[in-house]
Amino acid sequence: MLEVRIDCMHEACPIPLLKALKKLNKMNIGDVLIMETDHSCSITNVIDWAKKQGHEVDYAEISDGEWEIYIEKRQ
Amino acid sequence: MRVIEKIIKKPWPYIAGGIILALLNITLFAFSGKPWRITTGFLYWGMGILEVMGVDHLDWHYFTVNGNQLSEGKTFFNNEYTVINLSVMMGASIAAFLASEFKWKRIKNRKQLLFGLVGGVLMGYGSRLSFGCNIGAYFSAIPSFSLHGWVYAVFMFVGAWLGCKLLFKFLL
Repeated sequence: MLEVRIDCMHEACPIPLLKALKKLNKMNIGDVLIMETDHSCSITNVIDWAKKQGHEVDYAEISDGEWEIYIEKRQ
Repeated sequence: MRVIEKIIKKPWPYIAGGIILALLNITLFAFSGKPWRITTGFLYWGMGILEVMGVDHLDWHYFTVNGNQLSEGKTFFNNEYTVINLSVMMGASIAAFLASEFKWKRIKNRKQLLFGLVGGVLMGYGSRLSFGCNIGAYFSAIPSFSLHGWVYAVFMFVGAWLGCKLLFKFLL
């Protein structure tokens, strides 16, 4: 199992979502993608999208207005 | 208390936002005689700055056609679009503060700055060719029964699709 980090700080829609899509395409099932973002929309649209794709998703606010989103690739 | 918190902190459904925007645009049209436009106001600000710097642009082709000139008695800074653009910014700030979502954003790096500036110039130029942005040339054009709003809508989707493809392939 591999952990991959992507830095999406200070980036707005749709960059975080597209970055996640591109990275996930290259990852194996069971790998975890960790996205760092300060864009509150990502908490909604990246998570909704990843759930719809059937991945396992969770997130945590690591400091004020900055989040880490964890996506475990399932398919 | 819970209801109020939900109203100011959570996103509203698209249909609620759509109906409110429509009612506000009708109200604006009824009272001012003009539908909502945004980029025209920014153009006027830019022209106002050029004017202060001594650039004479009143005879530019753009301002002689399609009713692009200022309304009578208005200046590049003192006009209806200035009022509404400042109000949009104030309203958006109030909503962000109420939801505790206000945050100063940093520029990530030079590449982001450069692409932002180039994108801004392209959007500004494009908005002048298409009689407005997605507000003036789409949101206000379709209810005015203007065909150009529908043409704009089709190419907005084409542009978004193409933009995502380019972004995905070359920039990420």
